[in-house]
Amino acid sequence: MMAFALAYSGFTALCLAMARHHEQILGRRAVTPRRRRLLSGLGFLLLAAALASLVLAEGWGMGTLLWLGLLTTAANLLVLSVCYMPRAAPAISAGFLVLGLVSTLAGA
Amino acid sequence: MGIALRVLAGAGGGYAVAALFTAALSLGLPMPRAEAVLTATMASFAVYAAAIVWAFAAPGVLRAWAGLAAVAAALALVLFLLQGHLP
Amino acid sequence: MKDGFRQSMAWLHTWTGLLVGWVLFAVFLTGTAAYLRPEISYWMRPELALSRPGPHNAAVAVAAMQEIAPASPAWFITLPDARETTTRVFWRDPAARGRGFRSEVLDPDTGRPVAARDTLGGEFFYRFHFQLHYVSVLWGRWIVSICTMFMLVAIVSGVITHRRIFADFFTFRPGKGQRSWLDGHNVCAVLALPYHLMITYTGLVLFMMMVMPWGVGTAYPGDQRAAFNAEAFGNPPQRQRTGSAAPLVPIAPLVQEAQRHWPGSAIGRIVVANPGDSSATIQLVRADSARISNNAQSLTFDGATGALLHASGTDRPAAELRGVMYGLHIGRFAGPLLRALFLLSGLAGTVMVATGCILWAVKQRQQAARQGRIGFGTRLVEHLNIAAIAGLPFAMAAFFWANRLLPSGMAERAAWEVHVFFIAWGLCLLHPLFRPGRRAWAEQLAAGAAGFLLLPALSAVSTGRHLLATLEDGDMVRAGFDLGLLACGVMLAGLCWKVARHRPAPAPSGRTAGQAPARPVADLPQ
Repeated sequence: MMAFALAYSGFTALCLAMARHHEQILGRRAVTPRRRRLLSGLGFLLLAAALASLVLAEGWGMGTLLWLGLLTTAANLLVLSVCYMPRAAPAISAGFLVLGLVSTLAGA
Repeated sequence: MGIALRVLAGAGGGYAVAALFTAALSLGLPMPRAEAVLTATMASFAVYAAAIVWAFAAPGVLRAWAGLAAVAAALALVLFLLQGHLP
Repeated sequence: MKDGFRQSMAWLHTWTGLLVGWVLFAVFLTGTAAYLRPEISYWMRPELALSRPGPHNAAVAVAAMQEIAPASPAWFITLPDARETTTRVFWRDPAARGRGFRSEVLDPDTGRPVAARDTLGGEFFYRFHFQLHYVSVLWGRWIVSICTMFMLVAIVSGVITHRRIFADFFTFRPGKGQRSWLDGHNVCAVLALPYHLMITYTGLVLFMMMVMPWGVGTAYPGDQRAAFNAEAFGNPPQRQRTGSAAPLVPIAPLVQEAQRHWPGSAIGRIVVANPGDSSATIQLVRADSARISNNAQSLTFDGATGALLHASGTDRPAAELRGVMYGLHIGRFAGPLLRALFLLSGLAGTVMVATGCILWAVKQRQQAARQGRIGFGTRLVEHLNIAAIAGLPFAMAAFFWANRLLPSGMAERAAWEVHVFFIAWGLCLLHPLFRPGRRAWAEQLAAGAAGFLLLPALSAVSTGRHLLATLEDGDMVRAGFDLGLLACGVMLAGLCWKVARHRPAPAPSGRTAGQAPARPVADLPQ
């Protein structure tokens, strides 16, 4: 769950780093190059964190497979949410992160 | 007409190249015989796909055929030499 | 030159995709269903209760085979596991038609043939997706392999063509005609690209020795397949029949020894060669749910003395790589979560193929609208799109209906279930001849939706057990399957509603398809 949340917010950040979607989601026109770099850096970092957590939990073989699968699912959901309710995308991402944290803590 | 020749080059010529590639590598790879066969055969589909892409990407029909023929000839030569070494 | 390259790749992508698109759609959809093979088989045999694999399954199965086929030269026994509730057996019978095999599905506890209706179950979708039906096994496999090669080329050329692959990563713009179909195609393709490449390439690797036999041919001159199999996969050498009788040793101690070899994992299959002969061998194969790699590990014992003859399972890199590819393709190692992800990716692939075929038809329509006439090719593609994409789900529903409605004592019952599937599909192929395009789409989707939505009810009426009862029994497999059928029905109904509700928009104005609302294929006037 945590890994899924990480993947989802990672994609959200990457998505925000693109001018067209930035405007679509936040309703603000310009996105500064600095911010874009920051967002895409954050996005890749989150995706890597998702991979790391899965590999630690499941080992290399299974971890990588699960990661690819979760990436697909997360990106699909994000595409749908950006398409039908763009403004809500960051909130959904935050929601997933909270859920992920809760389930991790509950599991620990 | 050009298209038909390219299709023929890609499907037929590509398969010939992939088959020669598999045969040559099966003999030539420095590993146990069965391993070489498996490796070569598994890789052959990538070669086939690449050959098809080449057949359609080459600037002219003649170039497409010439490229495939050259690779096939080289592989056939390698195969011939390798078979010559076999007892 | 660069543009020329991209154009030729676009051409290649279009035609490799379109020519075999309908076969690929069917292969993708039935292959995705095959991930649920044990569950489908279980649902299609409502007489069976959920049973758990027990310690005596192996002994029961061997005893049963000694009664069923004592003279057979070889038995192949697949034991039940957490998902598969029956013992499936094949045996060689030189007198049998075709490839010389007979098969039976056994109750794992009693060893008797299961007291259930005669059906192929999920096995049908599984077999269909790599060897089709009504054609010989060899032809079917060749056809599917060639289509798979087309798919590989389509993927490679598609990636080359689609240069804005990452810029469009998160983009889906619905309700914009051609643009939406293109977006949908891209999203399904790009997001699950690792899966598509994996499933296509590994699919080719599964039949590589049939499609590309030249490596073995040169490295093992003459007819030395057996020698290659022994070296490559560590199969034990075959022993010649001696002709002197000798009883088989009890199997339980062998199973125990195997479990010492592979702590924590079960025996998946048992292969017995020359049973009853003094040359008999018993091969125990480790369950393939244990590891990603399907490079089977096995132990071979002497059938007359019980001595360990051979331990196979080479861990050499190429053999292991092939095992991993094999394992990845069939996904039998996957737990529930990963299996769900495989299913979703499989569906994404199905949608990718479908949107690709529709996209072609939409583009042709728009060109035709400018030129003022619609060619035969466009009509043909539109027709086949309807029959394949809307028709196949309906045919699958019909297959399940046949399973519940055909009388259980009927002769050739399992074969007739399959006939019903193809009759339903054939009707879908004829139906668009008589109905205009959009109506044909809507009606077939509606028929499919109704078929799936009513299935749980039909099942409840014909078996006397409804969804709530199975839930109460804790039979989650059956209950989950009924819910899954409902979900399929809802999905088809949603598609149907979209198609039917769509009002034809004004004609697209020139080349600004991105802004002007263009028409999806569904609502084009015929």
